[in-house]
Amino acid sequence: MASSAVGIAPGSRRRRRRLTWSRVARGSTPYLLIAPVVVVTGAILGYPIYKLVTLSLQRYGLEELIQRKGTWIGLDNFSSVLQDPIFWHTLGRTAVFTIANVGLTMVIGTLLALLLVRVSRFVRILLTAGLVLVWSMPAVVAVQVWYWMTNFHNGVLNHLLTQARVGDFFQHDWYGSPLSQLSMATTLIVWAGIPFVVISVYAGLAQVPGELLEAAAIDGARPWRTFADVTFPILKPVLLILTSLSIIWDFSVFTQPFLLIGRSHIEAANYLMGIYLYTEAYANSDFGRGAAISLLMVLTVAGMSVFYVRQMLRIGDVR
Amino acid sequence: MKRRKIASVGVLAAVVAAAASLAGATTAASDANTLTVWLQVDAQTGWADVVAAANRQFESSHPGWNVDVQYQTWGDHLGKFDATLAAGNVPDVIELGNTEMTKYMAAGAFADLTSAKSSFPNSGNWLAGLAASGSFNGKLYGVPYYAGSRVVTYRSDLYKRAGIAKLPTSLAAFIADAKKLAAKSGKRGFSPVYVAGTDWYIAMGFVYDRGGAIARFKNGKWVGALASKQAIAGLTAYKAFFNAASRASRTGDEARPQPYDVYAQGMAASIVGPAWFSCCVGAKYKAATKQFVMPSYIKGKAMPGFLGGSDLAVPGRTNAKQQAIDWIKALTSSTSQRALQAKGNIPNATSLLGNSVNERAAQRSWFIPTAKHWVDVENGNILRTMLARILTGKATIQQAASWASDNISFTLNRP
Repeated sequence: MASSAVGIAPGSRRRRRRLTWSRVARGSTPYLLIAPVVVVTGAILGYPIYKLVTLSLQRYGLEELIQRKGTWIGLDNFSSVLQDPIFWHTLGRTAVFTIANVGLTMVIGTLLALLLVRVSRFVRILLTAGLVLVWSMPAVVAVQVWYWMTNFHNGVLNHLLTQARVGDFFQHDWYGSPLSQLSMATTLIVWAGIPFVVISVYAGLAQVPGELLEAAAIDGARPWRTFADVTFPILKPVLLILTSLSIIWDFSVFTQPFLLIGRSHIEAANYLMGIYLYTEAYANSDFGRGAAISLLMVLTVAGMSVFYVRQMLRIGDVR
Repeated sequence: MKRRKIASVGVLAAVVAAAASLAGATTAASDANTLTVWLQVDAQTGWADVVAAANRQFESSHPGWNVDVQYQTWGDHLGKFDATLAAGNVPDVIELGNTEMTKYMAAGAFADLTSAKSSFPNSGNWLAGLAASGSFNGKLYGVPYYAGSRVVTYRSDLYKRAGIAKLPTSLAAFIADAKKLAAKSGKRGFSPVYVAGTDWYIAMGFVYDRGGAIARFKNGKWVGALASKQAIAGLTAYKAFFNAASRASRTGDEARPQPYDVYAQGMAASIVGPAWFSCCVGAKYKAATKQFVMPSYIKGKAMPGFLGGSDLAVPGRTNAKQQAIDWIKALTSSTSQRALQAKGNIPNATSLLGNSVNERAAQRSWFIPTAKHWVDVENGNILRTMLARILTGKATIQQAASWASDNISFTLNRP
């Protein structure tokens, strides 16, 4: 505005004001365009979060639900959660679980994407179709299939392992300890998470210029060296975003472990954050405490999202 | 400009639609002449005709009223009920499992039915165990609906082939028979008596058989009792029985797989569980399937079985309390109860009891501690974890029982 005012002769005030008005109108167009989204997001996200915060500051159990009136207790819910050793154990377990799941998903996904570049067109179509099928499988259905394959009595996995003479897996219990229960959940989550990584990384690989790879080969670089020095730097933004997203998803995962381990076997020793929250809030009807746990989870995930958003912005800057 | 208009029209449409759906919800809730009843799916699959008869009886004596029975599943009906408590559109009558009652009675979810008690059919003779689950602090909140006990369902052909001429009348004899059955079968993974490792409804029967208990109420506090001498004896007996009779997963539960499925696949000579298990034993074994009462360690006595069952309650916020009471009367009348009995259930009153295996098994029964936080013990799977540790040998019986007992004391006494 200031720069344009310089060119306009003094005295033509009316004209200048009119111009400003139209500029304001033009300047506000983006805000008006984004307004519906802001309003809708505010309504569907802002209000629940506001309710969640107020709920977390109240004693709100079944009794209060029936009276429809909680008792304000300040930060008591938070201090009781933070003093609960189960919370800290669960947080630690969930962190390890997330690292394992994200690590496996990313490594296997990237390897498969690299494989996808090398194989023939027919195999690529076959592989991609398989990945899309995995992607489109609802989690609940996948859990049923997984449990059917690994069940104690007549699971097909035990049968195959025994037939292949890997050992005697007759009625082997795949769900015997918290570690094995969570490992089974991991196989399911990684399996379901891979397609997204493969397809995204594969798309990223298309951006790696063939000349660079060729030049590296002429310089005598071995495949690993080429990957580390040429392919990886170009893939880095994609990998970072995928990793951040996977962390956010896997940290708060609920459906797969809850259904696969089964309601009858969920205990403090195999809690993940999502399951801990569900048990405290819904099963034990302590909604105030549940709200406090979920806010702590939101904060943790938000902390991780900062990293994700920063990466997004940085990539935007480069362009 | 045009785009903005389109966007604002879109938002407006969304707002209108939301308002319309809200208005729809209010009209549905204020329809005063419909009695909304939540029953479990068991009624839908097992005795929908009995429910329909009760509805007809109610509707003919209450002109202008009609009954809307909405069938619920055990897995999610409490979550749905909680949601209606928050929203205010509660059903007028709700069926709850007897183990689910205490938490809601303690929280004040239900209308006090004490003054109407004598007007309910057979209320003077209600089954003591079931009636106890429907009262809290001396007040009546739940009307006994029906009960079910746990029995042994077995294949008479296999018992005969194993040379078992007489059904076992003591636990020791039952274990001896189990060994005979296993020897005769020789099939790998075959269970003479299939019991899921962490099926605490069965395991606790062994504890109560020896005079033990899960928890006792002493001086205004709940105290876990599983580490007592009697309870340890019961748990020891359970482990010995499991090792001799069942090839089920030591850490598995009774829902995955259902015991009757194992039986129907020919992998079990007997199963222990609700009497209605006989429904699903498979066409192949239907004719040979019979039932007997699970024997105690004391010869000639029955092992105390978990008395399952349901109560009917009236949510406090209903505006049709009297109609709800009248409908409950129709479903718990002697006629209805006899019809339920014919379907293999235990009727709600001693005066109606017959002499079926199911009903004989109900004579010695046990029930969960009626503590407000008992559901937390169930949700935390404390008993199942204890049983898995005992059966897998990850802990000694004493260690596992002490751990569970301390945990139960802590959980039950939560504020």
